[in-house]
Amino acid sequence: MDAGLVVAAQPRVALSTRVRRGTLRRLAGYLLVLPAGIYVLGLVGFPLALGLWYSLTNTTVASTGAFVGLQNFADVTRDVTFRLAVRNTVVIAVISTAAKITLSVALAFLMLGAFPGRGILRTLFVLPWTIPIALSTIAYKWMFHSQYSVINWIGVHIGLIDKGPNWLGTMPAAIIAVIFVSTWRAVPFGAITVLAGLTAIPGEIIEAARIDGASWWQRFQAVIVPIIAPILFIALLFDLIFTLTELTVVYLLTGGGPVDQTQVMASYALQIGVQGGALGQGAAVALYLLPVLLILTIMSLRSIAKREGL
Amino acid sequence: MAAQVAVQRGPFHLTRSQRSTLVRALAMATYVLVMVFPFYWMFITAFKQNSDLYELKHNPLIFNDWPTLAHLEYLFGKTLFLTWMWNSLVIGVCVVAITLLAAVPAGYALARLNLPGAQQLGIAIFATYLIPPTLLFIPLTRVVHALGLANTIWSLVIVLPTISIPFGTWLLMGFFKNVSKEIEEAALVDGASRSQAVFRVVLPISKAGLAATGMFAFAISLQAFLYPLVFTSSTNVKPVTLGVVTDLIRGDIFYWGELMAGALIAGLPVAILFNFLLNDFVEGITGGALK
Repeated sequence: MDAGLVVAAQPRVALSTRVRRGTLRRLAGYLLVLPAGIYVLGLVGFPLALGLWYSLTNTTVASTGAFVGLQNFADVTRDVTFRLAVRNTVVIAVISTAAKITLSVALAFLMLGAFPGRGILRTLFVLPWTIPIALSTIAYKWMFHSQYSVINWIGVHIGLIDKGPNWLGTMPAAIIAVIFVSTWRAVPFGAITVLAGLTAIPGEIIEAARIDGASWWQRFQAVIVPIIAPILFIALLFDLIFTLTELTVVYLLTGGGPVDQTQVMASYALQIGVQGGALGQGAAVALYLLPVLLILTIMSLRSIAKREGL
Repeated sequence: MAAQVAVQRGPFHLTRSQRSTLVRALAMATYVLVMVFPFYWMFITAFKQNSDLYELKHNPLIFNDWPTLAHLEYLFGKTLFLTWMWNSLVIGVCVVAITLLAAVPAGYALARLNLPGAQQLGIAIFATYLIPPTLLFIPLTRVVHALGLANTIWSLVIVLPTISIPFGTWLLMGFFKNVSKEIEEAALVDGASRSQAVFRVVLPISKAGLAATGMFAFAISLQAFLYPLVFTSSTNVKPVTLGVVTDLIRGDIFYWGELMAGALIAGLPVAILFNFLLNDFVEGITGGALK
């Protein structure tokens, strides 16, 4: 064999092996992602698509149903309870979000720095967020009891009120109760997140602002807000996604009552779709949330991507 | 010095820093009271005699009669509480196993194999974490039915990883990225195969991440409420969070003592477990940029 040919052929062989090995490795890599991918496609992607399809049909538990176009979406807009549910979903999200931001920033500032018992305090503070929401909600149902409400008892005995409201049986007390529980639950998470942001601010920056003669409020606005705002923003988007779609509190605390007055979109979708068996209409009610959720999801992914430096 | 000045002025004159400490302590105490009170309320209710519990003239904050174990006896003896706890444990362990089996290879491949489009794929998987059960539970009832899993604990074993796999993959990507490439390559040069390098070097270094992912999957499966509510209906297949809040209510009658005892016993372990995960969780969703 001609020596020149061998020399010329060798690198070619090596190159193609290398390419093949690279392709193989990449293939193996994608194979490793496959189980997670299949899972997510099969049990998130597929049901989501199926839900979209259901919303366009009059499917019920008993029948497969036929394509009805946007009929379900149009029908529910004329439904009084649906309108109540939309209103309540928005009201709860807006008020509890405002309360959550204020209270969690305040709590984060209280927790800042070292003091005796900080570790134990932190564990106590996060209890509301770490206990399963169904279980804490049932405790609140007992605390808001029409006869034995301990909240009313305390209020009366410290002279704050004459006779407390029937919390879960009247409006607006019932929706205030729902907002309270939702806020109570989320504040620890917000506080921990803000605290993580605050701890990242070097003390010298705050010190420098102090020396420059900045007042507390100026310092807060000019130095601290810009640093914690992005992280608070992400925490907020997450919380909003879960608050908008949350139904455990309403379902267990008020059951949507009194007379559907505290119904939210998620609990109404459950009532129509599962308890009422109208899968198509229930899916339509839930899917009214999709556009807002999409916007929130894209916003949170963008800000996460920005933080990751992508 | 400051203390002397304060003494000279009398006990009610505080220095500026003492005053701010006092305000801070008061604010903190208020927070603690509001945050922790429901747990105290569960506790005292769980051990009160019914005669004490339902007597309006009594101070509800204290034991007016002797504490009792009657509610606990009822909970453990006359309800399926232990079965629900067992169901939750089985579901939790299976969900952890499925999550790790899917998330570890995915997280590793996406973080370390330089796959084209790995970042986007990672974000796409994570994005499914943001599709809440509310949008999925109606079609999923049909899927669960078609799989023949309706009204079994296996419906939850299959469905709950849809929440923990995306988040776990994302968490593990972060952990695997932090393992230095040199260590893995050193193992490869020493003659280890890629899988040996992974099992003997990369995974042991990332064990904090594996533990966090596993505990997160466990906590998620115990926190779930909507999926158990729609997929399980028979008393003996319910997980504990659902069993407690649905089966201790008969018609209009709430067994408050049993309810609070069950909530406390089922809830506290989960709460404490989740407490360990908090930092990882916050880091996971805020992009791990803060350390």
